[in-house]
Amino acid sequence: MGTQVKDVIIKPDAPSTLLLDKHADYIAAYGSKKDDYEYTLSEYLRMSGIYWGLTVMDLMGQLPRMNRQEIVDFIKSCQHECGGVSASIGHDPHLLYTLSAVQILCLYDNVDALDVDKVVEYIKGLQQEDGSFAGDKWGEHSSQRLYSIYDSRLHPSPQGKIDSINVDKAVEFVLSCMNFDGGFGCRPGSESHAGQIYCCSGFLSLTGQLHQVNADLLGWWLCERQLPSGGLNGRPEKLPDVCYSWWVLASLKIIGRIHWIDKAKLRSFILACQDEETGGFADRPGDMVDPFHTLFGVAGLSLLGDEQVKAVNPVLCMPEDVLQRIDLQPDILS
Amino acid sequence: MHGRVKVKSTAQQEEEKRKEREKKLKIYVAARDACFSKRKEGVWDDGALQITQQLLSSNPDFGTLWNYRREILMHLETVKDEDEVQKIYEAELSFLESCLKVNPKSYGSWHHRGWVSTRLPRPDWARELGLCDRCLNLDDRNFHCWDYRRMVVKKSGVPVDRELAFTDRLIGSNFSNYSSWHYRSTLLPLLHPESPEPLPSPRRPPPRSSPPASPQNHSHRVCEAQLLKEYELVQNAFFTDPNDQSAWFYYRWLLGRAEREEMISCVLVSREEETVTVAFSRPVDPGGLMLLLDGQPQTVEWRSVHPRFKHSPVWICDLPPGTISDVTNEHNLTVHWMERHAHRDCALYTGRTESWCRDSATDQELFRSELSVEKTSVLQSELQSCKQLQELEPLNKWCLLTIILLMRALDPLGYEKETLAHFQTLREVDLMRSAYYSDLCSKFMIENTVLKMEYAEVRVFSISDKKLTTLCHLDQLLLVTHMNLSSNQLQRLPPQFSMLQCLEVLEAENNSIEDLEGVFHLPRLEEVLLKNNKISTLADLRPLASCPKLKRLDLRGNPVSGLEEVEAALTELLPSVVDLLL
Repeated sequence: MGTQVKDVIIKPDAPSTLLLDKHADYIAAYGSKKDDYEYTLSEYLRMSGIYWGLTVMDLMGQLPRMNRQEIVDFIKSCQHECGGVSASIGHDPHLLYTLSAVQILCLYDNVDALDVDKVVEYIKGLQQEDGSFAGDKWGEHSSQRLYSIYDSRLHPSPQGKIDSINVDKAVEFVLSCMNFDGGFGCRPGSESHAGQIYCCSGFLSLTGQLHQVNADLLGWWLCERQLPSGGLNGRPEKLPDVCYSWWVLASLKIIGRIHWIDKAKLRSFILACQDEETGGFADRPGDMVDPFHTLFGVAGLSLLGDEQVKAVNPVLCMPEDVLQRIDLQPDILS
Repeated sequence: MHGRVKVKSTAQQEEEKRKEREKKLKIYVAARDACFSKRKEGVWDDGALQITQQLLSSNPDFGTLWNYRREILMHLETVKDEDEVQKIYEAELSFLESCLKVNPKSYGSWHHRGWVSTRLPRPDWARELGLCDRCLNLDDRNFHCWDYRRMVVKKSGVPVDRELAFTDRLIGSNFSNYSSWHYRSTLLPLLHPESPEPLPSPRRPPPRSSPPASPQNHSHRVCEAQLLKEYELVQNAFFTDPNDQSAWFYYRWLLGRAEREEMISCVLVSREEETVTVAFSRPVDPGGLMLLLDGQPQTVEWRSVHPRFKHSPVWICDLPPGTISDVTNEHNLTVHWMERHAHRDCALYTGRTESWCRDSATDQELFRSELSVEKTSVLQSELQSCKQLQELEPLNKWCLLTIILLMRALDPLGYEKETLAHFQTLREVDLMRSAYYSDLCSKFMIENTVLKMEYAEVRVFSISDKKLTTLCHLDQLLLVTHMNLSSNQLQRLPPQFSMLQCLEVLEAENNSIEDLEGVFHLPRLEEVLLKNNKISTLADLRPLASCPKLKRLDLRGNPVSGLEEVEAALTELLPSVVDLLL
C-alpha cells in the first residue's frame, strides 16, 4: 500500500571523483559547435548559456580559455535601443538575458561595455503596479524576475542605482508569493518551487529583508528535497536533478540551514552525474550533459566545500572573488 | 535539457544521425532567417504566421517568435472585423493546444495563451477551464497549468467553493497531489477566514491596512470549525497512504499557529548603564521609535545589539548621562512605536536600579495556544490514531514527526519526555535529516525552558544535558542574568546571543563551542565558564574583549589553552579578567 518514493539508483561504477579537466575541456569546446542542431535550437537563451559556461570556467580557474573579446563584442551587439539585452543577435531584449549579460561583464570586469544608464532605465520601465517586474514589454510577471532586477542593478554600481525602482513594493510582491509551507512560487498563489525559492531568497538577501523568511519552516521544506539517492528534487514527489543541488543548496545557505542536508550523500550524487567520456554534468546519472547542469553541479560542490573549486557566492552564483572586487557582500542568515 | 538519456550507438549510427541533424539544421536556419528578415521588413501577414508556426511547433521556447506573432496578430486586429479576429484567435488557441500537447511545460506557450485569452473578442472561459482539466488530468503537478487555471478563475469569476470542490476531487483520486493541497491552502482562508482580531490595545497595534498576503498571517488562517473538518480530510489521506508526503506537509500547516503580531514585548530600563532596551516580537527597523521620559521626548539613537543586524528584535538607546542615574528619583518612561501606533510604559521606582515591563510567554501565547475543548479532543484522538499508525509503520518518519507536533500543540511540558524519545527514534529512522531533527528538538527544549521560567525564576535560564545543537528565542531572554548551557552539543554562540543584555554568568562547559561571536558588548557579563569546548585560537576570544566587566574566564580543556604564550596574550586582550583558568 502506498506510493513509492520517486528517485534514481546510483550504479556502483558511477564516477566518484571530480573530473575538473574533462569539464573544462567540455565547456571550452562547447562554443565552437556553431553548426550543431541542438546548439542552434538553444539560441533563444544563448546569453544565459554563455554566462553558465563562463561562470563554471571561472570557478574552475579556467576562464582565460574562453574568448573574451568575442564575447564582449557579442554582448555589445545584443544591447537594444531600449537598453535591454537579448539572448542573441536578432532576438528581442529580455530581463533574463540582460541579467546574464551583466553577470558576464562582471566576470570580465567590463560592465561599461554596456550603456549602464540605459540598462537601468530598461529595468525601471518593467516594474508593474503590484511591485513585480515583467520579463519584457509583453508581460509575464514573475517573482523570478525580481531577482534578476536586483542582481543586475547592483552590479553596474552598488551605490545609488537602486533607488529608481520601488524596492518596498517589490518586497511586498515577493512576500505575497510566500506559501503555507514557507516557500515561494512564481506569482501570488503559485506552488512553492525550489527555483523560485532561490530567486526570492536571493532577492530578500539583496534587499536586506531576510528576516521576513520563516527560516525554520522553509529550511525544513528544503531539506526534505533530499532523496535516498542523496540527490535533491525541486519540490515534493519529483525526481532528483543536479541543478537543484544549486537552487536548494544555495537557498539553504542563504537562510543559514545548509547543515540540514546530508552533505556526503549529496556530493556522491553530484559526482555520479558526471560523464566520464564527454565531460560535463547531466541532470541525473546516465543522462546527456549540458553547460547548465555543469555549472550547477560544480557550484553545488563548491558550496559543499570542495577545495578544488573556487568559493561561489550563494546569492549571485558567481565566484566570491568577483564580488569582493566590486565590494558586494549580500546578507545571509547565520 | 532535462531527462534526456544518453544512448550509446555505433559509428555508423552516429554518422547517420549526424547527417540527419545537418539536414534539420539547414531547414531550421533557413526558416529562422526567413522569419527575422520578414520581421525586419515589417511583414505582418499570413505567410509570416505560417513560418513562425512551423518553427514554434518544434521550438516553443523561442520567445522572440512569439513576440513577432503577437505583433502580427495585433496588426490583424486593426484590419479585420470582430468576427474575423475571433476566428483568428480561436485558430491561435488550437495551434497553442497542439504546442502544449507536445510540450506542456513551455513558458512561452502558456504565456501566449494567456495573452490570446485577453485579446479574444468573445473569450470562452469554460473552454479554458476544460483545457486545464485535461492538462491536469495528465499531470496534476504541472504548475504552468495551475497558474493558468488561477488566472482563468480570476478573470471569469469562478466561485471559491467550486474550486475547493475541484481540489476535493483531485485529492480523492490521486496520489502525488501536493499542488492540490497547496491550492486548498490558498482557498480555505478566503472561504472560511478566522474570526476578526481582538480590539487593538496599546501594546498591540491595529492590523495594517494591507498586510502582505501570506498564509502565515492571521488574516490567512482558517476558522476553527472548518479547521476541524480539514483535519479529518487530511487524516483520511495519510491513513490511506502514509507515504503521501503532501498530506503530512499540509497537516503541519494546519497544526501551526499564526505568526505573532508585531508588538513591543519587553522594555528594560537600567540606571547603571543608563540605557533603555526594547524587545519586539519580530525583527524590526527602529525607525519611528520615540522615547518619553517623564513626559518629555528624548533625542536618542537606537542601536542594534550586534553590527550584523539591521533588523533586530532588540534595540538599545543610551540616555544622556545623569538623566536617570540618581536612585532617589522616580521616573516614568514610555516607548512609542509610531509606525504601529503602539506604546509601552515602564515605571522606574526610587531605590530600584532597574525596571522592566514584559508580557509573560503564556500571556503572549508564545509557544502554545489556548485550545478549545473541541479542538483538544480532536487533536487528542488524532494523536492516538497516529500512535497506532506508528506501531504499524515504525519506519515512517512523517508519522513520528507529526506525533511530536501534536504533542507540542496539546501539552508541550507534559509530553517533554515522550517528545525527546520520539526525536531519538526520528534521528535514527531518517538519518539524512538528523541535523534538522536535533535543531528542532533543541528549539522545543528551549521553548519548554522558557515556559517553565514562568513558574520559577524569570532571570535564570538553565538547560543542561539536552543535546542542544542550536540556540533560538534569545530575544525572549533579555532579562536573564544566569544562563546554564552546560553539557550540550553547541558549536557556537551566534550574534543573536548579544541580545542577553542582563547576562552576568554564563556556564557553557562540555559543549563543542568554537565560535563566540555573540558574546559581544554584554555590559553585565562577569563570568564565562567554557571548560571542555573547542576554542582554538586567540582570535576566537576577541569578542570577549567588548565585555567590560568580565572577571572570570575558564578555558580549561580547550585547544587554545595549550598555545604558547597564551596567558600573556589573554592578559593583554582581556585586562578586566582577574581569574583565568587554563
